[in-house]
Amino acid sequence: MKTFAELNFPGRLIAVEGLDGSGKSTQIYLLKRWLELQGLKVYFSEWNSSELVKAATSKAKKRELLTPTTFSLIHATDFADRYERHLVPLLRAGYLVLCDRYIFTAFARDVVRGCPPEWVRGIYNFAALPDLTFFFKADLQVSLQRILDGRPLLKYFEAGMDLRLSTDPYESFRIFQGRILEQYLAMSTEFSFLGIDANELVEKQQGIIRELLAQRLNLTDFRRAERPLPARRPQRPPPAQVLISNREEAVE
Amino acid sequence: MKRLLQNHIVVPGPSRRRFYGHGIPNVELDQLAGKLIVVEGADGSGRSTQIALLVEWLEGCGHATVQVGLKRSTLVSEELENAQEGNILSRTTLSLFYATDFADQLENIILPALKAGFVVLADRYIYTLMARDMVRGMDEAWLKNLYGIALEPDAVFYLNVAPEELVQRSFAKNSALDYWESGMDLGLSRDMFDSFMKYQVLMQKTFRHLQTTYGFTIVDGLRSADALNADLRKKISAVLAGK
Repeated sequence: MKTFAELNFPGRLIAVEGLDGSGKSTQIYLLKRWLELQGLKVYFSEWNSSELVKAATSKAKKRELLTPTTFSLIHATDFADRYERHLVPLLRAGYLVLCDRYIFTAFARDVVRGCPPEWVRGIYNFAALPDLTFFFKADLQVSLQRILDGRPLLKYFEAGMDLRLSTDPYESFRIFQGRILEQYLAMSTEFSFLGIDANELVEKQQGIIRELLAQRLNLTDFRRAERPLPARRPQRPPPAQVLISNREEAVE
Repeated sequence: MKRLLQNHIVVPGPSRRRFYGHGIPNVELDQLAGKLIVVEGADGSGRSTQIALLVEWLEGCGHATVQVGLKRSTLVSEELENAQEGNILSRTTLSLFYATDFADQLENIILPALKAGFVVLADRYIYTLMARDMVRGMDEAWLKNLYGIALEPDAVFYLNVAPEELVQRSFAKNSALDYWESGMDLGLSRDMFDSFMKYQVLMQKTFRHLQTTYGFTIVDGLRSADALNADLRKKISAVLAGK
């Protein structure tokens, strides 16, 4: 497997991975804002978010219809749809693509669910590797607490209830997340994860991430092309005035 | 003695079971007492007619039957239909969507039915799915890994019908050619008739290639339905008798 840089794509793919509650979504959002404000071409894609596959996935999850095999396949379908229709074309067009979870999420979760690792990896081998993968490593207890504090109702598959680890959803979630963490740690070296200490303050983590990104990528390569200025039109009465007068009326 | 034989119900012997690859986790293969019979072939090759006749015959012989087919899972069949309607899924996505549909039926219908000792009749199996994808340029090794979840059937019959005859049957039945069965998404020809002929030739070539790996039985689908069914019954009887 090769990275997008090794495959000579002009774009670069940056992925974040980690347990639920490790703070990775917050960090990738802040990274996205920073890149956008510099006028760079940025696209953000989230795990399990393809419009086409969503209907099937949410129905399946609600009705608890999934086995480890179909859980794996339906997520692979979702990933393939986003990969082929969004990620690859945007990377061809020189975008910085930010992914909240990438194939490693499947490698970890599906294997914990009992799918053979070689089978799962084989399915995802149509996808190139990220150019940078940030792995958010928090103490298991911290991650668990963040989730359990904020959202006391755990969903069936999220808690790994299908694995019959425990009849108590919280206990099941703890064991499940612990096993996923083991899987992540086991592939950390193989896939050159850049470890981020997720126990640190938000700002400190973001500072490290931005610095690493600036070191590894020449960010100016991803600037939006300066568009030719539109031809000047004859001036019209500025619409702003209308807005202001409206606003004054509203205040009264 | 003769009367006894006529009423005698053949109790099928055990099958030597295996998955093609990694299989489904936690399945005990030696508990799958039933038989899995697959009928493959293009649209218009007579699959559904043959299966209907086989069900009648098998039930008459005292065997319980279950039927499965493509795009029939409770999990994704509806969504798959919708997505296909708009022809918006790219090839890997469509391939995985079909694999999900297959896996759902395998785990929720085929395996439990085999465990309960049923004869499962599958109206197409992984071979059609693989052939369709291969014709669209998907990697064969990737597909073999993906469908390594599949159970090896007890028998696979491929109903071989020449494209010239398929096109006639399709017109006789619907007065039209199906978009997907004509491979129109491949851009082989803008003329639907040409595209159908070219696509079916490609599919047959791919099936012949898959036959070398999976060793299914190619049967002549040009015979009358009854003659063809008699042939299939003879072959299935041998399978049930454990030959």
